[in-house]
Amino acid sequence: MSAKKSVGQHASVGSRVFDALNIALLVGLALVTVLPLLYVLAGSFATESEIASRPFFLWPEKFVTSTYEYIFATDTFVRALITTIVVTAVGAAVQVMLTLTMAYPLAKRYLPGRTLVLNLVIFTLVFSGGMIPTYLVVRDLGLLNSYWALILPLAINPFYLIIVKSFFQELPQALEEAARIDGCNEMGVFFKIVLPLSKPIIATFSLFYAVGIWNDYMSPLLYIDDNSKWTLQVIVRQLTSANAENALASLDSVFFPVEGLKFAVVVIATLPILLFYPFLQKHFAKGVLIGSVKE
Amino acid sequence: MSTSPRRLMAGVLALTATLVAAACSGGAGSEGKADSSTLTMMVPLFGTAPNPSGEIQQAVEKLTGKKLQITWVPNADYSDKTNVTLASDKIPDVMVLQDNKGPSFVKAAEAGAFWDLTDKLGKYPNLKPRNEQARLNSSTNGKNYGIYRVRPLLRSAVLLRKDWLDKLGLELPKTTDDLYNVAKAFTEKDPDGNGKKDTYGLIIPKWPTPIFNSSNPFNAIDVWFGAPNGYAMRDGKLVPEFDTPEFMEANRYLKKMIDEGLVNRDFATLDTAKWNDPFVQGKGGIIIDVNVRATQLYELLKEQDPDGYAKKLAMSGNLSRPDGKKFSLPFTGYNGIVAISKQNIRTEEQLDDVLKALDRLASKEGARLVNNGIEGRNYKVEDGYAVRINENDPAVKAINNDVDYAFIQLGTTSSVGVAGDAYERRPASEAEQENLKLRKELEALDLQTAVHDPTLPYVSPTLTAKGATLHPIVSDARVKYLAGEITEEQLKAEIKRWYDSGGTQVVAELGALVAKAGN
Amino acid sequence: MATDLAPPPVQAVPRKPRRGDKVSTGTALLRYRWLYLMLLPGLAYFAIFKYLPMYGLTIAFQDFVPFLGYSGSEWVGLAHFEDLFTGPDFGRLLGNTLILALLMIVFAFPAPIIVALMLNELRFNVLKRSIQSLVYIPHFLSWTIVASLTYLLFSVDFGVIANWIHGFVGGTKVDYVAQAEWFRPIIVMQTLWKSTGWGTIIYLAALAGVNPDMYEAARMDGAGRWRQFWHVTLPAIRPTIVVMAILTSGNLLDASFEQLWLMTNSLNRSTADVFDTFVYYVGITQGGYSYATAVGLFKGVAGAVLIFGCNWLAKRLGQRGLF
Repeated sequence: MSAKKSVGQHASVGSRVFDALNIALLVGLALVTVLPLLYVLAGSFATESEIASRPFFLWPEKFVTSTYEYIFATDTFVRALITTIVVTAVGAAVQVMLTLTMAYPLAKRYLPGRTLVLNLVIFTLVFSGGMIPTYLVVRDLGLLNSYWALILPLAINPFYLIIVKSFFQELPQALEEAARIDGCNEMGVFFKIVLPLSKPIIATFSLFYAVGIWNDYMSPLLYIDDNSKWTLQVIVRQLTSANAENALASLDSVFFPVEGLKFAVVVIATLPILLFYPFLQKHFAKGVLIGSVKE
Repeated sequence: MSTSPRRLMAGVLALTATLVAAACSGGAGSEGKADSSTLTMMVPLFGTAPNPSGEIQQAVEKLTGKKLQITWVPNADYSDKTNVTLASDKIPDVMVLQDNKGPSFVKAAEAGAFWDLTDKLGKYPNLKPRNEQARLNSSTNGKNYGIYRVRPLLRSAVLLRKDWLDKLGLELPKTTDDLYNVAKAFTEKDPDGNGKKDTYGLIIPKWPTPIFNSSNPFNAIDVWFGAPNGYAMRDGKLVPEFDTPEFMEANRYLKKMIDEGLVNRDFATLDTAKWNDPFVQGKGGIIIDVNVRATQLYELLKEQDPDGYAKKLAMSGNLSRPDGKKFSLPFTGYNGIVAISKQNIRTEEQLDDVLKALDRLASKEGARLVNNGIEGRNYKVEDGYAVRINENDPAVKAINNDVDYAFIQLGTTSSVGVAGDAYERRPASEAEQENLKLRKELEALDLQTAVHDPTLPYVSPTLTAKGATLHPIVSDARVKYLAGEITEEQLKAEIKRWYDSGGTQVVAELGALVAKAGN
Repeated sequence: MATDLAPPPVQAVPRKPRRGDKVSTGTALLRYRWLYLMLLPGLAYFAIFKYLPMYGLTIAFQDFVPFLGYSGSEWVGLAHFEDLFTGPDFGRLLGNTLILALLMIVFAFPAPIIVALMLNELRFNVLKRSIQSLVYIPHFLSWTIVASLTYLLFSVDFGVIANWIHGFVGGTKVDYVAQAEWFRPIIVMQTLWKSTGWGTIIYLAALAGVNPDMYEAARMDGAGRWRQFWHVTLPAIRPTIVVMAILTSGNLLDASFEQLWLMTNSLNRSTADVFDTFVYYVGITQGGYSYATAVGLFKGVAGAVLIFGCNWLAKRLGQRGLF
């Protein structure tokens, strides 16, 4: 896009100064975000006494892997990891599909009743029934202990829905009209024309939904009683927040005085989903959308 | 366009109504217990969940004669799960309730969700309350809706850097004055010998809950100075801890220490999870907390200095005040209760059956099972201690995990911190063994001077309703006073504000309940 | 295929009805049957998982006890709203909530837009991509970790950054994490750190939709970078910015309670307490579902007013708005 094409051009001095400044600022920003994370990574390989005695470090003095050994000593973690990956993949696909199909008709300004539906959707952005009634609905649908309970109650995020809808509104109408003239019905237009044009949107919201499921610990905690079905975040939270209760009066404080374990758990629970992003990134950069419209 | 939205709305409503009808027909009430050979349970979990076919669960099932279906719930989120469970008419047969004074439980119990066991436990040899104080504390307005899960009734201690004491030629503190002197020497006399004035005495953290009588170091020092532990009856009137001259005296004492730099400067913000750090780093030298913290400190010191760690930790119990009088800070002696649902366990016979199973679990054999594991499999007995064996065998690791982080939570007569009929784990080194002995001695000794809170069994409706406003008033004001942000007069004004904001009713309500019970 | 049976193409192209056009429901349902069909699963979702549980809002008018349920709990009318509005904490909570919300609008809302635009101007693709994938990582760390890192860096005695600032500025050491006046700056900084990178994604997606030819055309017209930015880039993401702004306004009174809760202490509670943290504390100490729901209703009404108000305003200003 703009960047690539203008490289060959003769850039002005002002432009070069801007570039230098821009790079400096962004690199600075990247450092600020990444340094504390490197500390977490380093801490996961450090001894407890080192974490306790050194305020901040990026490389442990004494390199240990005991935390990771603890995590992988049982198959619990691996099982939860696999479960989470599967639920996240299936769930995000379902959620994105539901969101896109609902957003598309809502993007059509001429559709009677559309405003009402949008109002009803927006209403749910600010009002919700709360934890217990939602739990009861999930129970009555027979979803308790089913992985669908982690997917369906969060299937359409009204916030995302509205953004997708407004992305759809920005799509050029000409192609759709052309398809209709070629005899496609609205469903055909959606699947044959709109979806292929919407790769950046699909990529973006796949990521959002996937991360949503990945990071959700409340749904598995409430809806899944069978511990062997737990997802990663339940275990992560279990291992990272046990300490918070430590100091409480009736404390059962012999549990997990282990900072390093917290760090290791965070590292393991974050890496897989982090790898997802660069994979999607190429779809953001392509400018697929309008580029293909032009032809 | 003008008519369609309304019609569409009607359509949506019709759809919703159908769905409501469809969705709600499924949950047609439970029908009591179908199968008496299975017990469903809900229990808090630390760590990862046990495998239901694991050796420990098998052994527990064999002992109790019941097939167990346990829902393990992460400790951090136990209360949320408790509430949806209570709302869902899927209450398990047997349930651990951590907060048996909270309104969701109290009202549920009063409405008949759980069996009142007050007059029933006496019939079962192992469920009969072993400690009257703990039984009383764990009761809810005089009724025991469950079997209390035992914890040490006394566990406060002062932990100090022994190497610093030795270097400066100091004795273990016995009085609050001694403590001040030790803290002063730790701050000013270069106890680590590095030639720099970079150490201090007492390490105080930020307490997670802003409740004044929550067994934090402040609470301990108040009690040492003779203030009530929470509340006390004085001259026929109920008085809160902070409305006493002793409380003011304790605060002046603490403020002096803080002003002189004998306490960590971040005492208002230090995370309790980092409480050990300054001690281990050799920055601060004194921690006032539960005695089991010694176990953690030994572990950390050992990692840092495998040869000399044994000489780095000393411990004394509760301190007496300067005039020699001693008042000790007790704990509640329990951590939540094991309650039995009336929803599933309908008849007295069924109840008796469940109680018998729980009685077996509370027996000597059961206590050893959930606290130690399986003798000869994951531990052996040596000099009366349990000693772990085969620790590298993955199957044994699973047993240890299941015991330490899960099944021990089912212990009622012996559990975390109380060996009861089970075996103490043998500490790794001689120093730690000595420390364990000392702990037991000090617990027994200090129990004689324990100042119990007479209001523990009772629930004040006003405090329940206004706790969020009331609780932080005094605990915040104290910290502000100690940090030098407000004066003693302003602290007293805040105490008055506590009374005016509802404290007066709290005292009246609790006072009436205590007076009635005390006859 | 179904399309073969469709009416003649020209008629099938939906005409945009002008104001005042009368379309009977039957005709509309028939003409737009495919669109309505696509709407159906979504409508079902909202009906079941969003609207059905809304009967739970009634507990704002009850003393809700989970075991007793919605029918068994005692009705108390407006008592919880009275408690909320007349309670000694209301003014302080509202003030703190609003100030924090304002700070978030001023700092946290534009930050991802700015960073996305800066990334968009970056000419080296490798660098651009690497920076992109680094800045969004903090989103994945829990607030617990962020809070402990903050204490680590800012605590009065050993905080790396605190000492560093002190080295520059001199004077007496400031205890950033314990002072009421530093509470808000720290919260804003944490939010910026944790959410900015993540927030850029949506804007980068919008920027990805910009047709490169438009830059080309602008260059042909002799537009410099600044003018290209002004006339091509900015218009391209303006609709997204507007939508995000309107949607965010609905959640104005929501604070990320876990973040605030972890940073609150006795010395900064006067500025730190907001509705969400207070409600959480009410929940801990008194199982206050009803009270929490009452607060939620109050916030919801405020959010609804804001969101529809902002939408109206956006339309008045010539933007598209939400619908």
